[in-house]
Amino acid sequence: MKIFKVTLRYFINSLEQNISGPTVFLLFFTSKLLRYALFMSFLYYLGTGVKLIGGYTWEQMLFFYLIFILIDTIVQMFFREVYRFRSLVVTGGFDMVLAKPFPPLVRCLLGGPDFIDLGVLVILSIVIIYFTSVYIHPSLSQTLSFFLMLSNAFIVATAFHILVLAIGILTLSVDHLVMVYRDLTALVRIPVDLFTEPVRSLITFVIPVGLMFTFPAKTLLGLLSPSLILFSFIFAICYLLFALKFWHFALRRYSSASS
Amino acid sequence: MRKYFTVFAIDWQNQFIYRLNFILWRFRNVLRVLMTYYLWISIFSSQTSVFGYTKEQMIAYLLLALFISSLVTSSPSNDNVGGEVSNGTLNNFLVKPIGYLRYWFTRDLSSKLINIIFAVGEISLLYIIFRPSLYVSPNLISLLLLVSAVIIYFLLGKLAISIVFWAPENTWGFMFTILVLMEMFTGLIFPLDLLPHWAFSTLQFTPFPYLIYFPLASIIGKPVDLRILLQSFVWMGILYYLLKKVWAKGLKTYSASGI
Repeated sequence: MKIFKVTLRYFINSLEQNISGPTVFLLFFTSKLLRYALFMSFLYYLGTGVKLIGGYTWEQMLFFYLIFILIDTIVQMFFREVYRFRSLVVTGGFDMVLAKPFPPLVRCLLGGPDFIDLGVLVILSIVIIYFTSVYIHPSLSQTLSFFLMLSNAFIVATAFHILVLAIGILTLSVDHLVMVYRDLTALVRIPVDLFTEPVRSLITFVIPVGLMFTFPAKTLLGLLSPSLILFSFIFAICYLLFALKFWHFALRRYSSASS
Repeated sequence: MRKYFTVFAIDWQNQFIYRLNFILWRFRNVLRVLMTYYLWISIFSSQTSVFGYTKEQMIAYLLLALFISSLVTSSPSNDNVGGEVSNGTLNNFLVKPIGYLRYWFTRDLSSKLINIIFAVGEISLLYIIFRPSLYVSPNLISLLLLVSAVIIYFLLGKLAISIVFWAPENTWGFMFTILVLMEMFTGLIFPLDLLPHWAFSTLQFTPFPYLIYFPLASIIGKPVDLRILLQSFVWMGILYYLLKKVWAKGLKTYSASGI
């Protein structure tokens, strides 16, 4: 209960900070919408000259991209604090986090959400609902499986960000690591099936961005078998457990670099 | 001029301090090309020509885009100038006999040199893997377009960052908007002549296609005439004039409030 209350306080503080600068809010909001609209227009335009892209229609390609944005936006919104973690470690500010009676992992993951993405999320949800009802027509079981796979994606994303934090503790010289994660995820703006081996397996099971972003969309399209759904869940939980172990391992090696 | 050579030499050495960071930065650049590569490979799996481009031409385009973006868009000044103005570090430069923007342009050049060296290695590796038929015919216009692209990118970035003098909290937001536009309209993801004629013509009234598309088109032997070079120079002139005016006005309002 205490963790929940403190985390809620972090959220409220971040929200107040976000709305205190309406111009920044508006700039990021419009820029992000513009970025998504431009890439979607590009995919749509490709669809006018190309019938199938790796076996997918342009509607399906657009749908994969919409689901990519949905997951990416939610993950970025909640885990924004991870982007500020390195400066916390190199300045010694992380000592203060450790000294407080609050789980440092929760503080470093959820301590500074970015609610600028909330506006994007609302618009995106409306677009996805419209697009799904017009082009996809999923069954009830597909819809339920989709939400299951969506939660699975967030488990993988959490594990990913924990790993980034842990590596941040072990190697102080790395400040591009979370951006490497961002670029890896940007790979799967297109379905993971479009990649050839061994890249496909690498980004599905080793660095499971494919599992995070492509699998939920495939579930709603009815293209993912139940056995793969089950496997994804087991994989995600194992991945999270591994990330937690690694976090504790890294914490034991933290040496308060700058204080 | 000698002082700028010294800046160049010191910055060159500095870049070897954070080696892992640099390697990760280069890795990120390759990742960005991979998504585009696989998207186009999937498109060409069902047809031999798309919007007038063959598979080989497209892969050659993407490889060279990696090279040109390494040259044009590696610009540490974009990450530092805003911060130095807002936290007052600019003072250190104002009292020294060195031009602040020239100082950063010199550091950018040093960064570009090391990025090009690595890009050549990466492209060679990708060339060995993908074996595209690479047709390259650079000429004087290509060279001048490349020089112009480097300068336009620098001027455009600094012009966007100049907002820091009046609204430091909006600097990153404004820069983000420019980066979003650059992502789609410079020709990094796709050759801009794929677009409908009206869109391609309209883009020529913006500085974006002169950053990657036109230099690259000229290198691969597409018809790029003197008119394009002239337009590129006009953009260079306009941005130089604007930056000079805006920077001078900004310096008048600058109060080193961060100190």
